[in-house]
Amino acid sequence: MDEKEVQSFLIIFSVIALFLALTVIFLFAIFQKRKNKLIQEQQEAENRFQEELIETQIEIKEDTLRNVSWELHDNIGQLLTLAKIQLQNAKGSPEAIEEAIETIGTSLNELRSLSKLINPSALNNLSLVEALQQEVERFNRLKYLEATISYTGASFFIDNKKEIIIFRMLQEFFTNTVKHSKASKLMVAVDYSNKVLQIVAQDNGIGFDTSENSIKKGIGLSNIRNRAKLIGADVKITSIPNEGTKFSLTYIN
Amino acid sequence: MEIQPLSIIPLVLELTAAILATIYFGKYKESTEKFFLYFLWYTFVVELLGAYLGYVVDVKNFWLYNAFTITSFLFYFYWYHSILESQLFKKLVFVFSAIFLIVAAWSLVYHSWVEYHKYTFITGALSVLVLTLFHFYQLLYSDEVLIVKYKLSFWISTALLLFYMGMIPLFSLSGYIEFRGLSYLVILLILNSILYGCYSIGFIWTKKKYNRF
Repeated sequence: MDEKEVQSFLIIFSVIALFLALTVIFLFAIFQKRKNKLIQEQQEAENRFQEELIETQIEIKEDTLRNVSWELHDNIGQLLTLAKIQLQNAKGSPEAIEEAIETIGTSLNELRSLSKLINPSALNNLSLVEALQQEVERFNRLKYLEATISYTGASFFIDNKKEIIIFRMLQEFFTNTVKHSKASKLMVAVDYSNKVLQIVAQDNGIGFDTSENSIKKGIGLSNIRNRAKLIGADVKITSIPNEGTKFSLTYIN
Repeated sequence: MEIQPLSIIPLVLELTAAILATIYFGKYKESTEKFFLYFLWYTFVVELLGAYLGYVVDVKNFWLYNAFTITSFLFYFYWYHSILESQLFKKLVFVFSAIFLIVAAWSLVYHSWVEYHKYTFITGALSVLVLTLFHFYQLLYSDEVLIVKYKLSFWISTALLLFYMGMIPLFSLSGYIEFRGLSYLVILLILNSILYGCYSIGFIWTKKKYNRF
């Protein structure tokens, strides 16, 4: 190589090396930046999910306590009051004592099932279907309304955290049915098929106008919608005044 | 023309990349990157033939390289057309292909076949550069940015970007500055190492589950 050629080699080599170095640095920088941003977004989404999950669990616990309080007052309390009256009237009539024994026996059974129901270790190990079953049984036992539940398909595994949120959405719907709808019947249908979970709950209560945006209903509904979005489920709530309200949830695993 | 030992090295690099592509074919055979297996072997055969014609038979082999330039850029255009998702980008691939074909045809008609068709190469190289940028843009704005180093298409685009980023100034400047022979070959060699090095890393690192399309 003569001097001139060495010179041109150096010029071209430096130009190309500079081009390549800049390209590599630039590529690396933008990819890294974008990657960090995505990771941060995922982290934030995960945090939101955790917060919502904790709130859901607190709400379920609060509802459970409220239910226990109702059940103690309305069911067991009533039975014990009845037993007391029966014993007060028992002076001289042994049949009344028999009746009182029976009443106390019934209240003991109720007490046992209640205590089983609120045992935290039992609560945590429940599957979604079992938890819904318990809710339905409770409504029937307390004679709030006539509730039925049916299952079709073979159940598949769903993340426990998501199950909790699904359960809470249904529990909120049930609470509204019992408190506000004046319904006499509640039907729940759970269908597992092909990685799709579909739950339809329907009451025959007074319903509400879905277009009406009263603040109270608005909050309840938007709460349910937010949670559905969080776990990637699709929720529809339709209501016809004086015919009933229908809640349907579709979750694709 | 004397045999330049350095000019064997690109052949070795191409062969290495082609062999790695064959070994790891299972990892990407369900994606459009599968065509790169054939393309790399095609490249190797063309270079081998070119070297044989040039050094052993000692005839002018520029027609072979011109044909290779045209087919390889058309292949890149086809590949980018299949992996770019945006309709706008797909249309632009057609625009680039049209411009490239016009330039290539013009060179075939008005330039001697015993010289390398520089303008065909520069047009194709610039188009591929833009297409790699489109591809990077697409990767950046999808969730795939998290697993990008396991995607073969990312490594192919990186290889093409770096190679043509270097080839364009080398080609353009070598016309103005007295520049032939060994020094030209050294830079070409470095660029070839980068190109086939990126391909090879891609074949080794890629994971099957990320090469779906």
